[in-house]
Amino acid sequence: MKARIAVPVFPGTNSEDETVRLLRDCGGDAELVHWTSAPALATYDAYVLSGGFAYEDRIRAGAIAAHDRIMDYVIEGAEYGKLVFGICNGAQILLEAGLVPGTGPIRRATAAFAKNAPEPHFVCRHVYLKLEIEPARCAITAALPPGALVPAWAAHSEGRLAASPEELERIVSDGHLAFAYAHADGRVDDAAVPNGSALRCAGLINRTGNVLAIMPHPERDGWNFNHLDRPSGDDVLAPSGGAALFRSFIEALS
Amino acid sequence: MLAVSVSLKIPDNTAYTALVALRKLGVDVERIERSEILLFDDQDAGALVARITADERIFNPNKHRLSVLESAKPSWGEVWIEPIFGSGRGAVAWRLYNEHGAPVKRPVLEMAIERLLCNPAIDRAVTRDLFDRDNRNEDE
Repeated sequence: MKARIAVPVFPGTNSEDETVRLLRDCGGDAELVHWTSAPALATYDAYVLSGGFAYEDRIRAGAIAAHDRIMDYVIEGAEYGKLVFGICNGAQILLEAGLVPGTGPIRRATAAFAKNAPEPHFVCRHVYLKLEIEPARCAITAALPPGALVPAWAAHSEGRLAASPEELERIVSDGHLAFAYAHADGRVDDAAVPNGSALRCAGLINRTGNVLAIMPHPERDGWNFNHLDRPSGDDVLAPSGGAALFRSFIEALS
Repeated sequence: MLAVSVSLKIPDNTAYTALVALRKLGVDVERIERSEILLFDDQDAGALVARITADERIFNPNKHRLSVLESAKPSWGEVWIEPIFGSGRGAVAWRLYNEHGAPVKRPVLEMAIERLLCNPAIDRAVTRDLFDRDNRNEDE
């Protein structure tokens, strides 16, 4: 039987449709689950928290959503070993919920995707995510090649990893840094980072490798028509580079 | 130093959301007020107010209420959430009241800070106690 994937929808989520569509195009059995139906989440095998502005980002990005009933089920599922994948606002929620990097108690954040720097402005930029861990370290990236480059779109005002120096050290030494920003040729340097993120971090995982939080949107580079480097004449509806991460996620469930 | 508080005179949906969320998290609070605190090195309050009210980036007279605080420190039952990183001078102030309309006691405020209002990875929570303690230490 196919694993069932829930894409929870908080008030203010806005990337749920393309997320579900790409999961389905990659062979997944994905459905939206709205906040009013939160108890239904218990019956799903995996969760993908998509982008948007859950609860209008009131107080802080992800702060209210991290305490929503939806997250009771997501946290319980993550502790049980279910796969949890957060993108952009979904990633912010996972950090606020303490699921990633997961170095502290649940619902006590030890890091945050904070306001961009040096300018605290919204950025919308095509980026590449470079896999910084052994693929098998995280179930969701296990089917990617080592050092894989995943194209995506960064579209956020709060995407800069911020934490204490001690916590940043832990993130590196304990293998929580899943993805770094890179150039198209795979080079990782500050010029590739759109938001001043510490460690050039674009994505983090938890200790057990079943929860992944990334800031850029691979689902916005999921088809040729929205891939910046698409050679002209390609089938515009064919999957493009961002789909690789979604395929790897689906493969981990099969 | 002068501290200026800019708050909404229209309903503050963020404060209401915080109120509902904190109650769900078991914090005994009846009402919340939120404002933005801006700190300036100015000495002349009148001139400062004139400058701020003329700057539509921070003050819209149809939407905002402005007041110069008596002192640049949180009042009782209030926390200032300041960003740890960055060069900005200011904070978001949260004032919590109990069912009698009085400022909440320290344990209630601390619970609200810990459970929702502050992410210690990026924020510093300054309360009246902390402010007085830090300044006493500086005096010593």
